[in-house]
Amino acid sequence: MTHWSGGVLLDEHRRNWHLWVGFVLCIVGFASLPVLARFPATRDVPWVNFLFLGTGLTLLFVGLTRAFDQPQQYRGKITGTILGSLSVLIVPLFCFVVFYQTRQLPASTGAPKVGEKAPEFVLPDTNNQPVSLASLLSTPLVNSQTPPKGVVLVFYRGYW
Amino acid sequence: MSRDLCRKVGYTFTFLSDPTAAVIRRYNLLHQGAGVKGQDIARPAEFLLDSSGVIRWANLTEDYRVRARPDQLIKQARDLK
Repeated sequence: MTHWSGGVLLDEHRRNWHLWVGFVLCIVGFASLPVLARFPATRDVPWVNFLFLGTGLTLLFVGLTRAFDQPQQYRGKITGTILGSLSVLIVPLFCFVVFYQTRQLPASTGAPKVGEKAPEFVLPDTNNQPVSLASLLSTPLVNSQTPPKGVVLVFYRGYW
Repeated sequence: MSRDLCRKVGYTFTFLSDPTAAVIRRYNLLHQGAGVKGQDIARPAEFLLDSSGVIRWANLTEDYRVRARPDQLIKQARDLK
């Protein structure tokens, strides 16, 4: 009597999609950092990125387990190993950027402190007109007759 | 650059330019060579001054991803007497 079950199993040799989805999620988890940094809720603690990376690694783990435990049923021993290794490298790279690179700032010890008078300055505005701190403090805002209650100075890095 | 940015996002408050980083230096906020093309730029900082020009609140972040949020600034400004 012929035994066909082996042949049936081979025909069902399935694509191991967990590996690819997991890998894509790891890439998205890293690459979405600049986008998610626009929103305070996902910036201060990049939890969405970690969610992507965690889900990606979990899927890769499931896919790799399948590929090695049920090789007659699932593909992906080689691709899974490559994608898995790349993904595992993405996580420390992400942590490096988030916990080290963006904190490489010079000491702020010399900056003006609360209670001190802010140093005076004159700088050109977007119409190339000189604007002094004194004028910002004394010029009433639009629809107002009195000088402003205060001024906010924001130093930013040139483009964001 | 600032003018393009203001137009794009519709800011109406005053944007000043410090191309030689002179004021950034005066405020001791220089981040040397950290610009895209290696220019000297500012480390991010936010100051709230009262009407006499005295600093009443300051935020000098240690992580340039994390800055003062608008709601933080508005709350501080509301508390200003």
